Amino acid sequence: MSEEIFKLEKDNLEGFLLYLSQKYNLFLPRRVDDQLSFGQMKPGGKPSLDHYFNTDLPPKEVFFPQRETLLSYEGGEVKHSTYKAKPIALFGVRPCDTKGIILLDRVFAEGEYEDPYWKARRTNSLLLTLGCNAPLSTCFCHWFNLGPFNKEGTDIFLTDIGDAYLVEPCSKKGEECLRGTSLLGATGDDRKVAEEIRRKAESSLSERVEISSLKGRLLALWEEDLWEDISQKCLSCAACSYLCPTCHCFDIQEEGSQEKGERIRIWDSCMFKLFTQEAAGTNPRPTPKERLRQRIMHKFSYFLDNLGEFGCVGCGRCIRGCPVNLDIREVIKAVKSFIVESR
Amino acid sequence: MASINEQLREQARKLLADKVVDLIIGYRKGSLPLRSTPYLVKTEEEAGSLIFDLTSSNNLAKYLPRVKTENRGSKIGIVCKGCDGRSVVQLIIEGQVKREDIVIIGVPCEGVVDTRKVRKKTGGEEVLRVSLPVLPGSGGREIMVEGRGFKITLDKEEVLCDVCLGCQHPNPPLYDLFIGRPREGSSARDEFKALEEFERLSSDERWRYFEHEASRCIRCYACRDACPLCYCEQCFVDETHPQWFGKGPDSSDTLIFHIVRALHTAGRCVSCGACVRACPVGINLNPLWVRIEKEVKERFGYTAGLSLEVTPPLATYDENDKQEFIL
Amino acid sequence: MSEGRKPKTEDQPWQPKIIAFLCTWCSYAGADLAGVSRIQYPPNIRVVRVPCSGRINPLFVLKCLQNGFDGVLISGCHPGDCHYISGNYVARRKFAILKTALEFVGVEPGRVQFSWVSAGEGEKFAEVVKKVTYDVQQLGPAKRLVKPR
Repeated sequence: MSEEIFKLEKDNLEGFLLYLSQKYNLFLPRRVDDQLSFGQMKPGGKPSLDHYFNTDLPPKEVFFPQRETLLSYEGGEVKHSTYKAKPIALFGVRPCDTKGIILLDRVFAEGEYEDPYWKARRTNSLLLTLGCNAPLSTCFCHWFNLGPFNKEGTDIFLTDIGDAYLVEPCSKKGEECLRGTSLLGATGDDRKVAEEIRRKAESSLSERVEISSLKGRLLALWEEDLWEDISQKCLSCAACSYLCPTCHCFDIQEEGSQEKGERIRIWDSCMFKLFTQEAAGTNPRPTPKERLRQRIMHKFSYFLDNLGEFGCVGCGRCIRGCPVNLDIREVIKAVKSFIVESR
Repeated sequence: MASINEQLREQARKLLADKVVDLIIGYRKGSLPLRSTPYLVKTEEEAGSLIFDLTSSNNLAKYLPRVKTENRGSKIGIVCKGCDGRSVVQLIIEGQVKREDIVIIGVPCEGVVDTRKVRKKTGGEEVLRVSLPVLPGSGGREIMVEGRGFKITLDKEEVLCDVCLGCQHPNPPLYDLFIGRPREGSSARDEFKALEEFERLSSDERWRYFEHEASRCIRCYACRDACPLCYCEQCFVDETHPQWFGKGPDSSDTLIFHIVRALHTAGRCVSCGACVRACPVGINLNPLWVRIEKEVKERFGYTAGLSLEVTPPLATYDENDKQEFIL
Repeated sequence: MSEGRKPKTEDQPWQPKIIAFLCTWCSYAGADLAGVSRIQYPPNIRVVRVPCSGRINPLFVLKCLQNGFDGVLISGCHPGDCHYISGNYVARRKFAILKTALEFVGVEPGRVQFSWVSAGEGEKFAEVVKKVTYDVQQLGPAKRLVKPR
């Protein structure tokens, strides 16, 4: 990787985005009705970067839309759909979410089974990650050895240093992309400012909880009453799952009539009772207790088994979005501190 | 005089100690500023964490049927502000819980804070600390919120939920004991005031509003799952034989889901606003619910959750009901 | 449903597709009487026979609108005539709320209409169908709540 770090004046951001949008189908944080999410850049459009901490909805929807047509049929003719537009670029994605996309790559693109729909969007895509100068109190990426300036998985890393961004290529794709620009190199002073910002952001994070032993604890506590206490207030809605940058369960359905219709893929969530409802009438996860336990187990145990890493990136969306303030950090702490009573 | 929280804790301890109740559904301080969290109290020690204030926004009646099923034979205490209490009345009328199985602990509600309104006031900046006026009737109106590099004082009225601003029933209609004194009077604002603006809109404009709101729906069902009266064993939207409507984010499917939920809660909805507060993407379809509530009131003379003696309007009829819309 | 969605042309003007839910004891018999009496009415309705107007779930109406019907007609026995004593009374309350909700979200008032037609009212049935067809024709093809296919 080159050691070169460039500098992008904020005054030139528009031009830079225009350059990106020529080569890429560019998505950036956009505020609609006070909600921030990743949206396609429209001509003359600007990213909503004021008071931007993180988007309310995760960027996974760019690569894994909530509703995706897999195939369509009409009059006996079947058409398979694939993503054919320009490669996708995400500008301003936060480091935790970049990590989330990397984890989903493992699920959809690198495992035994490849998901052609994810791959079609993700191949040749470019991630431009923006470091977090001011992490929120609900951010806990550092629990997972990530951090507000974690560069893992990104193609280009940006640091906001006031009236400019430091732009650092972190992959071959990133380097190539920047080669087409006329950005100047950053000065030593710029780097010092960025370093100071990074140090300040990291020190502003809340207390870190050690979670290396979590998986073992979870397995040992699977049958304990603890889950009843934790899930007591859970409404079993899917706000957490749908706000999560790594939740990726889906359902496949048919919509239409005999003559014309579509096979679609839509998001699904293990928090729904219907998720495990069997045709014969039984349900192995009949109450919120089993369903919440499943979600926690998946993030902190099964993900490790399958992919060697935790399935949570500490973005804190589920904490901010939960209608009953069921805080996943408190769940983790409760699991850690639970004392098994001898029977 | 002891604060509301102190009185609440004291009474809760007493109820548990005297075995009047086996457990109490209440609130404790949440993990975020401006948030409380539902809390199931089983011991006198736990009762010491109970609170009630402007952040007690969940409708606790939601938990009654579930807690009842999971703790058969237990007597359940429940902390109720006005709307929670009205929901409990509806649940009793509808046979979901028995009056004799519950002990209603009334609390004087001064409204609950809409965190989205606060977020707007802070320009999207995160709130890290708050100080709330002490309840009740202290005359305190100022809410101070603090965050990174700002400290602002908000008037309560600016950040209370829309439904609270027009609330006519701040006290539960039914209670076994009351913490403090029931609030006197109700909101000066008309309960249907929020509708005025909407009713002035043309059909096209209303359609644009509702379709836009529905198009933002992510189908997480937090609204349904937070609603104390959405207790169906299986929601129509989860039925598969036949599957009524699509389950994706298509705006026709989502809007129909919300319309049907509004129809199913017609004459039962107590306007607690729990569905609006639960929405993780900030959709506000409340005007539809308020419109139906108004129709129910005007047409059938009914307001939900005020009395155990009345049959809900959609479960009965009057031979002389108006039928001006029928050819 | 596809012919209902075809664009208007000179030789084949757009014709609304209307679904009618008729209670078997009164309105369906009324439609039958209109038929045997050779009373003319527009051929735009497709009839679904239901045991009682109380059987008509608002979901039926919404599903029809979603599937692209341009209009929905619901018809049952006059008050006091219900074969099941009170089915139409309960339905009347339900319909009032359904109508309020649909119109409030912006579905045009003429799209979904209600009537009482007895077994002896063949004439009235034809009049109702004429009126509903005319109203829906004035409104044009349904767009709201329709799910594009």
